[in-house]
This record gives sequence, C-alpha cells and structure tokens, in this order.
Amino acid sequence: MLALTEDLAKRWLRERGLPVPRGAVAASPDEAVRIAADMPGGAVVKALIPTGRRGKAGAVRLTANAEECRAAVAAMLGTSVLGHAVQRVYIEERIAIRDEFYLSLSLNGPRPEIVITRSGGIDVEDVMRTQPERLVSAAIDPLCGLAVGQANELLQRAGFDAALGASLAALLVALYEAFCAADALLLEINPLAVTDSGSLMLVGAMMGVDQQALFRHAEWADAGVAVTLSRNPREYSVDVANREFSGGECQYVELEGEIGLLVGGGGAGLYQHDVMLELGGLPANHCVTPPTGTDNRKLKAVLAAILDNPRLKGLLVGFNFAQMARTDIRVSTLMELLQEKRIDTAQLPIVIRLFGAGEQASRAMVAGHPNIHYVPRGTTLKEAVRLIVELTAGARANALT
Amino acid sequence: MSILIDQTTRIIVQGITGGQARFDTQWCINYGARIVAGVTPGRLGEVVHGVPVFDTVQSAIAVHPADASILYVPAAQVKPAVLEAIDAGLRLIVVTSEYVPLHDVVHVVATARAAGVRLVGCNTNGIISPGKSKLGGVGGIDPGEIYSPGRIGLCSRSGGMTAELGLVLKETGYGVSTSVAMGGDLVTGMSMAEYLMLFEADADTDAMVIFGEPGTRNEQEVAELVLAGSIRKPVVALISGIFQEAYPAGMTFGHAAAAINTSAESASAKRSILAAAGVHVARSLEDIPGLLRRAFFAAETAVAPSRRGDQSA
Repeated sequence: MLALTEDLAKRWLRERGLPVPRGAVAASPDEAVRIAADMPGGAVVKALIPTGRRGKAGAVRLTANAEECRAAVAAMLGTSVLGHAVQRVYIEERIAIRDEFYLSLSLNGPRPEIVITRSGGIDVEDVMRTQPERLVSAAIDPLCGLAVGQANELLQRAGFDAALGASLAALLVALYEAFCAADALLLEINPLAVTDSGSLMLVGAMMGVDQQALFRHAEWADAGVAVTLSRNPREYSVDVANREFSGGECQYVELEGEIGLLVGGGGAGLYQHDVMLELGGLPANHCVTPPTGTDNRKLKAVLAAILDNPRLKGLLVGFNFAQMARTDIRVSTLMELLQEKRIDTAQLPIVIRLFGAGEQASRAMVAGHPNIHYVPRGTTLKEAVRLIVELTAGARANALT
Repeated sequence: MSILIDQTTRIIVQGITGGQARFDTQWCINYGARIVAGVTPGRLGEVVHGVPVFDTVQSAIAVHPADASILYVPAAQVKPAVLEAIDAGLRLIVVTSEYVPLHDVVHVVATARAAGVRLVGCNTNGIISPGKSKLGGVGGIDPGEIYSPGRIGLCSRSGGMTAELGLVLKETGYGVSTSVAMGGDLVTGMSMAEYLMLFEADADTDAMVIFGEPGTRNEQEVAELVLAGSIRKPVVALISGIFQEAYPAGMTFGHAAAAINTSAESASAKRSILAAAGVHVARSLEDIPGLLRRAFFAAETAVAPSRRGDQSA
C-alpha cells in the first residue's frame, strides 16, 4: 500500500466535492505564513508525512497568528517524526468543532469494510482497545456499492440521531465512491467533524492506495518515492531498480544472518527460509525475484545487493523445479556479477538448486569454479539448504583455524 | 475423473498472441489439452500453433464452443476480459496475470460468484490433470517428469511448489488426480476450501495435499470443514513462512497476501489449527508420503470394525 500524504488525500476528496478544510503545502516558515494569512480563524500546522497518529507524536500544532505559525513551522521542519523526515508542512484553516466522529473504509479481503464510531478524535485507538463495542462495522457488496439504506442502517446502529443521519449517510456514500475511484485500500477520516455552524467537515484524512493500480493514477506516480526508499544502501538500490526497470516488483530485506538467499520469494522461498532456520543456518536476507525473461536487470540488482552484504558467508540459489522460467539466465547473471565484483568463490561457498529449461548450459557455466556446488537432479530443496548450511559452517571453522 | 479439467475440456486462450501465452499454448497442446480458439482484439484471422484467433470471446465460441478460458492479458485488462468471458457463458476461468489491482479482483471475484462461474487465480500458473489435460504453464515443457497420473489432489498457494509436491509424490509411487495453483494473492477467485470440496466429491481422488502460507483464512476454512466432517478424505498440509513470526507484524515476504494481519494468520497458528482439526501437518516435503501412508492405513483400520459390525447386524 502506498500511503499518500494529507495534501494529496484531501485534494482527491476536494476534487470530488467533499467538504475538506482549506489548506496548502509549505516548505519554509515564510511560505507557511503567507498561506496562513488567508486563514483568519488561525492555522493548523501539520508535519507532511504519510502516516496517521501525528497528533500523539506532537506533529500537529494549533496556531493563532503569524508569529505562532512561523515558530511552529520552524520547530517542525528538519525533525524526524515516527521515522519520517519532515521536509514540508501542511497549513490548514482551523475548524471550530462541535462534535467529532471516526470513519474508515478499507479493502483487505473479498469485500470492502466500513467502520464508524461516534467516539472520534485523537483517542480512537483507545476506543478500539477498550470499548470495541462502540465501533460499528459492515461489509460492503462490491457489486452494489454502499447504498444510502445501508449507510442509514449503519448510522442508526452506531447511535447517530436522525437529524444528522441524512446528511451523514449521503456523505458516506460519496466517500465510498471516492474510495473506489482512488483504488484506495484504506481511507481513514479522523475526525469527521460537525462544525460550530452545523456542517460536516472531513478534518483529518489519511489515504493508502493500491500500488498495483498506479498505472491509472498518474497523479500519484511520485508520491511514494521519499517514503518507500529504504535507508539500508543495498535495500535502497533494489528499491531504485524497482522504479527504473519494468517487470514484476522485486524485494530485498536484509537480515542478521550470513547465508544469502537468492530465491523466488513466495512458496519455495518461504519454505527454504524456514528449513534453513530449522537446520541451524541464519539467512542474511529474504528476497523476491519475479520470473526472469531476457531482461535480467532486476535480478541483477537483487543479486548485487546480496553479494554486497558485508555479512555474507555463503549463498543459496534455490528455486522450484522450473516450470516456466529459464535457469541459465539466473546462472549467467550470477557468474557475471561474481566476476564483476571479483569475488573469490573459494571464500564463498555457493549452492545452486536450479532444474529445468537451460539446465545443461547452466551447469556448463559453473563447471571448474571452485566451491560452486550445482546439486544433482533429484536433490530436494531441504538437501540443498542443508548443504549450504554445512558448507558455510565449515568455511567459518576453517577461517578460525 | 479429476477436478476442473480433463481430456474433454474445450479451452479458449484470451491474449493468445502474447509471448507467454504462445509458449504455454504450445506445450498445453503437446500435452493433449483441447485448445479450440484464441482471442486477441484486432487479431481476427491469425493462427497460433494451429489455433484460430478471434476478436472477442463471443465470436470465438460461436464457432468453437468452449468450457473454459485461460487469460494472459495485462493486469489493466483483466477486469474487462474476465467479465467478457463470464458474459459469454464460460464456466471455468483461469487468470494467470499478476499485479491486478485489488478493486478489480474483488469485482470480478464477486461477479464470478454471482454467476456460479469458477474463477481460478489471479496469479496462477495453472491446473493440470495428469495424463489428461493442462491449462497454463504448470509442468513446463515436460509435465510427465513432475506429475504422474494418480489419486492425490493438490492445492497450493504457490505455483512453483506444486512442482515440488508433484515430484515428491512421484518419487514415492504416488500420482496426482489434479493439481491446482490457486494463486498467492490476497483475494482469489476460489478458496482452498472450495477446491478441497471438489476433491472430496471426486471419486478418483483419495486424499489431498495442500501448501499454505501466512495470511488469509484459507487454511483455517479447511480446518473448519475437516472438523465439521464435510471433508472426510485425508488432508496433508505443508505450511511455510514460520520465520516471518520473528519479524515485525505487517512486514511482507514473498506473496502479497503473506502479510500476517491477525495471529491466526501466522504459519505456526495455521499448523496448529489444522493439526487440531485432524489434518496431517508436514514439516517438510519429505514428510508428505509417510503422512499419506499413515493416513490411508488409519482410514483402513477405522473402516474395518464398522464393516464387521455390519456383518453381525
């Protein structure tokens, strides 16, 4: 899920005619003050980071005048909040709130779900923990959408009075439509407020969207760049490869162990990781490599990350009996990188379990290289894992003597 | 018999002119699959490996009646292509495409369910009923090397692992009635429990082997059916992804669905829920044949006393 920053989420809602406070993004105290000059009721300064829970983290400040606004922005920019660097702030008009509620729409199963409670505001997590009965939820039929009747029934169950009910039901229906149109996986409105003048206002809005649907949302193509890039340089390089090259999404997660895993990711990747731990080996990483065609650039990025890990003491290239992908592309990529990085395989045991199309060429490529063990046909995934665990332990013992 | 497909199943291929579709279609035909037509809009009149290409599903099946469709269309085209296949009246739709937007998946899955259509995938490498037919890349260029015909039903969250399951069974003298990769996505057309109910009803399947992963309620639903007595044939389960529990919740490794949202969705919770329901839980692939043997032996000895009872009555 790609978490959008508040400005993007609110722009999406505003463009669909939904009531959100006026606001704009600022990257400096001066800019913030200029925006706030247009807000006679005072301005709220919020760290522009793609996460909720900012209020509790002290990243939301209410300001009454230009001096307070300038000071709040100056204090916030350049800090780190909940693991995110604050490079910009969101300046929004202050809303006088009479009553506040919580609403969320989410999709993480066969049907979208709506949750609402009258207990809104900053403490909704406490409500979830201590009074879950106050949260009212319903599944939405994806073919019919959220109908006014269902919204009314939900609001009644949540204890809303009829006077508010009609306008709130219409708002819920419109929000659900905006949620679907955005390919959102999560839309959280907290607080959903009744203003002093009695109108409804979406004061807090966080939205997470489906990365797989970004092809139809060009407006968010760059939204996640700063966020999803990992701090580990090797994880970072794989993130960059994901953005630069086409094809399925790769993943490289560095762990504390010493045996590199070049695996498909799902299925056999999970299985070999479990088996390695069971046999006393410690993986240096987990990774996801999509089936590789002739374009091996993503595979190369993942393999380079694995080989660059300073903790690496052994490498397992372990895949299912290939039903579709070619084995020789993986092996030639490996050999190319070993040469490029001048890695002496005498110091780095490698076990390869790759059966299927191109296998003969693959075996020929590693022939004569010391310490590269291309296991024979019929070797199980577990036997290959056992071999790399033993070879790595043996190499460590040799280094000690 | 078998489930979903056999030698009589007539198949169309949507997106047949693409690279993967051409490759798979060739090997499916070689294996004996009855591929009767292909569909790619704007490509009417072309021929792929002897299979005629049409512009629409409707026009294809008007000339070549079909039972099933397999889709090799880009993620963005999956929703309209599946809806087209459902409208045309196909009863089995297999979607190989990956990275389909979740809102689209949810919509087509609900539409298929409402129409009583079986939707396999998305993100599946296909179905094979060994010796009869195959749909998709499953088995690669030589399926016989991996899958022997036989009486064990396979259902896996991972396409690749169906090959390992097929191999370990073959080496120990077991064969497969049908193997289906249900797809590793968060939402799939059919659930693992639904496939197992098909195997339960199949006269030529004696037992089922499942491969599961963290995330979703698929394995839990299987456990519920076994516990309720709706599934009486032996079930052997291999569930991977225990290692994830050592890392922070919500971190995903591998398949998109394999994020653990609730404690019941972790691999170890699934193993214990299944074991408690009477499913035979394997720790590795090598355990599976032994567990099957034990399950069959137990079933025989359990049946014997009641037979004696019948005679004395």
